[in-house]
Amino acid sequence: MTLTAKDFKSDLKPIWCPGCGDFGVVQAMYRALAAIGRPPHEIAFVSGIGCSSRIPGYTTAYGFNSVHGRALPIAQGIKLARPQLLVLAAGGDGDGFSIGGGHVPHAIRRNMDITYVVMDNQIYGLTKGQLSPTSPRGLQTVTSVGGSLEQPINPLLYVLAYGAGFVAQGTPADMAGLTSIIEEAIRYPGFAFVNVQSPCVTYGREDQQIKAHREQMKTLVSLGHDATNMADALARAQHYGSELYTGVFYKNPEPPQTFEAQARERQTQLGPSARPRDRILDMFRQH
Amino acid sequence: MTTDLVIGMAGSGGDGIVSAGEALLSAAASEGYHAMMTKSFGSQIRGGESSCRVRLSTEPVLNPGGTLDVAVALNWDDFLKFGGELPVGGNTVVIYESKTGVAPDKLPLTGVVPAEVFPVPLQDLAKEFAGTEKAKNTVILGLLAGWFGVGSKGVLAGLKKRLAKKGPELFEANERAFQAALRYASEHPLARPRSLRAPPKLLPKLLTDGNDMCAAAAIFAGCQFFSGYPITPSTEIMQFMSREIWKYGGALVQCEDEIAGIGAAVGASFAGKKAMTATSGPGMSLKAEMMGLATIAELPLVIVNVQRGGPSTGLPTKTEQADLFQAVFSAHGDVARPILAPTCVADSFGLTVEAFNMAEEYQTPVIILSDQEISQRKETCDPIDTSTLRVIDRLVPGPAELEDYKRYRFTESGVSPISHPGMRGGNYLAAGIEHNEHGDPTANGVMHARMNGKRFDKLRPLQARKDLFKVYGDPDAPFALVAWGSTAGVAREALALAQADGLKAKLMVPYLLFPVAIAAWTSFFAGVQAGLIVEQSHQGQLHKLLRMYLDLPRGVASFARSGANPFQPKEIVAKLRRRLDNQRTDRDGQPHEE
Amino acid sequence: MPTKGIDYRTISLRDALDLAVLVEEEAKERYLELADQMALHHTPDAEGFFRFMADNEDKHRVELLERRHKLFDHQPSGVTREMLFDVEAPDYSEARVFMTAREALETALRSETKAWTFFDKVLPLLLDIGVRGLFEELRAEEVHHQELVRRELAKLPPDDAFCHEDFADEPVGQD
Repeated sequence: MTLTAKDFKSDLKPIWCPGCGDFGVVQAMYRALAAIGRPPHEIAFVSGIGCSSRIPGYTTAYGFNSVHGRALPIAQGIKLARPQLLVLAAGGDGDGFSIGGGHVPHAIRRNMDITYVVMDNQIYGLTKGQLSPTSPRGLQTVTSVGGSLEQPINPLLYVLAYGAGFVAQGTPADMAGLTSIIEEAIRYPGFAFVNVQSPCVTYGREDQQIKAHREQMKTLVSLGHDATNMADALARAQHYGSELYTGVFYKNPEPPQTFEAQARERQTQLGPSARPRDRILDMFRQH
Repeated sequence: MTTDLVIGMAGSGGDGIVSAGEALLSAAASEGYHAMMTKSFGSQIRGGESSCRVRLSTEPVLNPGGTLDVAVALNWDDFLKFGGELPVGGNTVVIYESKTGVAPDKLPLTGVVPAEVFPVPLQDLAKEFAGTEKAKNTVILGLLAGWFGVGSKGVLAGLKKRLAKKGPELFEANERAFQAALRYASEHPLARPRSLRAPPKLLPKLLTDGNDMCAAAAIFAGCQFFSGYPITPSTEIMQFMSREIWKYGGALVQCEDEIAGIGAAVGASFAGKKAMTATSGPGMSLKAEMMGLATIAELPLVIVNVQRGGPSTGLPTKTEQADLFQAVFSAHGDVARPILAPTCVADSFGLTVEAFNMAEEYQTPVIILSDQEISQRKETCDPIDTSTLRVIDRLVPGPAELEDYKRYRFTESGVSPISHPGMRGGNYLAAGIEHNEHGDPTANGVMHARMNGKRFDKLRPLQARKDLFKVYGDPDAPFALVAWGSTAGVAREALALAQADGLKAKLMVPYLLFPVAIAAWTSFFAGVQAGLIVEQSHQGQLHKLLRMYLDLPRGVASFARSGANPFQPKEIVAKLRRRLDNQRTDRDGQPHEE
Repeated sequence: MPTKGIDYRTISLRDALDLAVLVEEEAKERYLELADQMALHHTPDAEGFFRFMADNEDKHRVELLERRHKLFDHQPSGVTREMLFDVEAPDYSEARVFMTAREALETALRSETKAWTFFDKVLPLLLDIGVRGLFEELRAEEVHHQELVRRELAKLPPDDAFCHEDFADEPVGQD
């Protein structure tokens, strides 16, 4: 039975403001998941807190809208406990790189086959327009009255530097491209990161919405980028904030073995030496 | 003539219902009324169902009120979504958009026949006179002014000020809509006139909400540092600080998370500055570790928890009073920290100053337990004479003490003079690890017991703070009510009703929730035969907390329920009466009444 | 190119008709989604118009589907929804809370123009005469639709001088 995008769409009506970039993201996810072909009940979709973190509820997968910034630890727990599941994680730039920032390097280095989609809109939407870690320096917000005094982080560079095996960026302005990189990210056998420039229609500027993306975006393919080359990827990623490059920045041509694959090997190796559970106390016997 | 008017309005976000409420509130305040406004919304960020409730009176307003005197519905679908938050009764005047096509005798209000019903062509009036249907919220203001005598002067003056930045056309359009509505009201008078009596004197008023009041108090108290993280419903405190603190040589950081949010404040306090952070329940959970650190390091710190529905993500936009246990008990180890609870916007000021004073005097984190209702509620208050408020600074070591400085020196009071980096001779190690008087790490049981003793004993003077408890009514009355936070305002009205009914009742409103001031409570409960501890939490947390520390009279029970189900004065009185009747046959200490 | 995996040089009439049907289906579903968004966000004028457009797209879809069945009965299709990316369907980013009927009509106009552009772009690539004929017809349809929308626009009273922001409430925090 082939699955279509409709099979992944739940009945819950999104509370996102009309015009929100996240509508395009969830649509791309429906389509990517349909192309992958795993049924909804075999998919676990974890998020944190924020507008974009509402996304699991809008899919028919097993969803977990957890607490702020903690999607990645929870996703890893799910994947390791039941590795055959398709595990997805999602959230916003605040959820992922502010409060969740400490979890990112470890999710990357553990390298479980999890796909993490961040909807990056450089603002905190659900709480009414505060500064976010990707907000540009000087941005006026309700908590940076007079302009932000901080440098924004560069999530692409950060994730590459932590050693992620798959890093891509997309925008709902190019739905075919976005769908394709999400699909490719899910197919990548390891931790995969997709940053989506998903503008906030309520707190962002009208001249920074999807229409502007369409005009500004440059696909990495059109620039002749070699996604197997880490140095190139790092160089391109430096332009985050000044350029909107879309497509795959980096895809490790030799993906290392995932954590769960190694765990499986260990389970297989040590299995034969397991004592029956009801004889577990034998190990404490004094002979 | 009436002295109290409760107006409830509902529509969609695009209708500007809340803006209308705000305009009415400001106008009424400028005309000398006591006023209060609450808001409630659907789950959309914009354009969802939207409602507000404005209560105006010639007397101080204690709570948002119950059944509406005036109900305004821009459409019935949205109005009904608010259910019991906008109760219509037999005395209500209902005003609604005639374009909804609903007949005045077929309103979708089951079992209720309002006093008077006015289907009004709000959109048409707006279109005709303002040139845009969107001005219907101003039409409503005009109708309210015409029918109830509120805001006739104030609304236009307020609008003019608010719209000054936009072109004059916008104000003029609003003005025309307002005047047209006034005319409509005079052409369609109320069957039973219900004007709000003019306030006796035009006294100056302050108008603000709980969050802004708390932040302003922090500035007054000398707060020089704020760090935090956005979380509904506390973010406005950080936003206020973002505008103001720089003016006082202070600094603000919106941190990467709640833990960093309190961490930076702990750092600022270690550096000798008065520091504050603010959050809600989920943030308090994350901050627990840092609060414990501040306790053992004996660092002054003010932490505001604007309580919302829990547990976990809970109900972010609804009020509840279920974080008391967390405030008292969330620390591992033996920790006591003062907990203060404001009851309204006005006392949020004094109480926040008190929190800073306690933090400084006793070198401890102090928790302010506000709640979503107080924080988001705008109300008028009398001007506050800040000259009557003490501001206390931490005890610093003098030159003699700095000769051989012991940061945690045992003293009579338990409070040791505290240095800060930059102070020559005052170098010390602050740590989460247990320490001796000098601050060196120790695992010695005797020292640990003494240090715990010091940290607890230094708070002993709080036991004698009778000024942090307010008793209403005859102190010898045998029937008692206890209420804290936003419930106190409802209980005060309940008390007045009970007394008018001939009941010999009194009400205790505690501002200091912890440490439990045993003497104050014992003296209140002496001679009490029956009573209720009224609060918004499933477990009745204050009731249980008090029972840990003192023996409550048999007849005192908990009247508690989950948040987002506000109490009404009448039901408190009814419950108290039932308690009186049942006290002999009821089982002792049952947490819930039948 | 808003389609993927379709070779226009060799596309059969059957597949071209299926494509045309899917273009309408995609657009209809999107208009319905936008209408639902408008409903949830209390923007009735735009909601009404989007539902009207959804109906229109559906009518056209049904017509094309009937033609397909007459010619090709229920032969399996070589074209699927997975190959389409908003050919005629309005972009999600077109929607705005409080949008006016005029703005909604302008959204429809842009979608019709987008569809025209697609058919126009594809025509030079088509080798099959039957398919060319179909696409020329579809392109002309879009012109016709644009005319209809323009006429409706002309009928509309001008949007009044005031924008919603002058009266609407501020956004609210949800967490």
